[in-house]
Amino acid sequence: MNVTIEGKPVFSHLNVVLEPGESIIAESDAMANMSADLDMEAKFNGSLPAALVKKFVGGESLFVNHFKNNTSAPLKLALTQPMPGDVMEMELKGNSFYLQPGAFVACTPGIDLSVSWAGFASMIAREGLFRLKVSGNGKVWFGAFGGLIEKHVEGEYLVDTSHLVGYEPGFKLSIQMAGGIFSSILGGEGLVTRMKGTGKIIIQTRSINSLATWVNRFLP
Amino acid sequence: MQSFEHTIHCKPDFAMLTVRIPGGKTLKVEASAMATMDTNLIMKTKFKGGLGRFLGGESLFINEFTAENGPGEISISPTAPGDITHRYLNNETIYLQNSAYVASNPDILVESKWQGLTRGFFSGESLFLIKCSGTGDLWFNSFGGIVELDVTDGYVIDTGHIVAFTEGLTYNIGRLGGYKSLFLSGEGLVCRFSGSGKIWIQTRKIMPFAWYLNPFRPSK
Amino acid sequence: MNIDIQYRPGSAVAKIQIADSESVMAEGGAMIAVSPNINVETSMFRKEQGGLISAAKRLLTGENIFLNKYTSSGGNGEVWLAPNLPGDLETRTLDNETIYVQGGSYLASSGDIKLDLSFQGAKSFFSGENLFWVKLSGTGQVVFNSYGMIYPIEVDGSHIVDTGHIVAFTDGLNFRITKAGSSWMSSFLGGEGLVCKFEGKGTVWFQSHNPSSFGGIIGPMLRPNK
Repeated sequence: MNVTIEGKPVFSHLNVVLEPGESIIAESDAMANMSADLDMEAKFNGSLPAALVKKFVGGESLFVNHFKNNTSAPLKLALTQPMPGDVMEMELKGNSFYLQPGAFVACTPGIDLSVSWAGFASMIAREGLFRLKVSGNGKVWFGAFGGLIEKHVEGEYLVDTSHLVGYEPGFKLSIQMAGGIFSSILGGEGLVTRMKGTGKIIIQTRSINSLATWVNRFLP
Repeated sequence: MQSFEHTIHCKPDFAMLTVRIPGGKTLKVEASAMATMDTNLIMKTKFKGGLGRFLGGESLFINEFTAENGPGEISISPTAPGDITHRYLNNETIYLQNSAYVASNPDILVESKWQGLTRGFFSGESLFLIKCSGTGDLWFNSFGGIVELDVTDGYVIDTGHIVAFTEGLTYNIGRLGGYKSLFLSGEGLVCRFSGSGKIWIQTRKIMPFAWYLNPFRPSK
Repeated sequence: MNIDIQYRPGSAVAKIQIADSESVMAEGGAMIAVSPNINVETSMFRKEQGGLISAAKRLLTGENIFLNKYTSSGGNGEVWLAPNLPGDLETRTLDNETIYVQGGSYLASSGDIKLDLSFQGAKSFFSGENLFWVKLSGTGQVVFNSYGMIYPIEVDGSHIVDTGHIVAFTDGLNFRITKAGSSWMSSFLGGEGLVCKFEGKGTVWFQSHNPSSFGGIIGPMLRPNK
């Protein structure tokens, strides 16, 4: 299997070459073009109850597509995400990573997707109650609106809540006002997430919510 | 005075500015633009003052971030998808389109400037420009990519694509061609600049983007 | 005519340099800026034979009905053009050939290229996408835009492209609408719906993203329509 990420960081998408026998799993509706001989099958995203939880609270679709090469020659496939933005590849070797709902694009067959409770901190910041947990052995591709920046945190860091895409397990998250009650409401920063711990975090350089608020001014 | 150390990531589509504020120093930042920051940066909101800015649709507030007990890093993400450019002002004046201000050194004077009814930039842009003058760092953003033009004999620019220009250029708002062309050609108003200086233009404008999203709005 | 494309693939802009008395045709609404010695003439699009296409019909199809002709006088001139949506630009030099470009993706062409909007063959297939096609033929340069990153796919045999991702294709390719998966159920459940299968030998220009998908995500966050 050969997967390259093209179009970074604004229109990132995956160009995949599957060797005979190989398969890749992708978010529903991610296929942009493919060899006519590739087999595509929709499958439930995990067991039935879990799939329903994922759809209604995790923000992911009920189904994923399994693309498999059942021929004897390599075949091509292009996978994309619905919003403009960046995509990153992560390799997991038994470890796990937390992602915001909606960030999943594709993965190799050895990866597990599950939804877990993100704690009240997330609820207050209006980002949703759940987060997506990816674990197992293999590769996962995820993306978000905006560019993606990887940052190594040691100790403490403040992140505007709508810009946090993913983080390693082990961080303690708490919500705080950016700078005094008055400042937070008027200065526009609102709530920020304080991250305590050591490890990798992924941030996005734009937020769809902010874009929507800005566009609203110009709508008829 | 010294320029602050900074990096602009993800140009030109999802640009994010990261500034390293020296210990004891302050940076002025457009309200609601902070994405991440070190915990030793203290945020205060300053009233920008002046009714003009509020009417212009831009938020009234500018945040000030001060680094205490050593330098601190802050990352700034504007709302609109687009570019960020840095200019070190050397006792000069630059005019910015109303939503283009991102950040500046506190020694730069930032004021609203009413253009008067006959000279306003219409087609969705406000009647106000932001006048920045003095010596120090200035960062501004755009919707789409920023192109810097060195103008010696004037230039003609669609008003929705203007980001900034240097003092010394004079301008006139008008139609592109004859009267018929205003409504038929699809172009709105254009700004005819005369003289020499620098003009920064953006490769996209907001109104067509808002029209494209209009059909996807929820209905009441 | 010299065409320089900058800021691919997300904020692409075309800087076109034309010589004295040379012209470039462009879609109405595409102009960002021109140097002071450029003259602009607006014309309503006419069919090859010289008649006028009914304005009502053109408005329904969504393509702006006006073309601007930019001509330089008294020396060289510069014209900066960009499309409305975020995305890419691609140029192609036609050598007595024909390509079909999705309506809304036509940006500019050199004066000798013929534009024809009477090609309706694909319209009935893509009824969900509200597409129509511009037929460009002759010899000269054309510039077309996309939502997403654009690149050519060489087809020699067959290839499947999701209908929201087709920008343009060369004359001679056959195409039909088909299902993506091995069964209809898979196609609908997997979200793919209908796709287009191209067969034969030619080039299909593909865009990496689908503007309706982004609309669907940000739509619920926008101010409701009254």
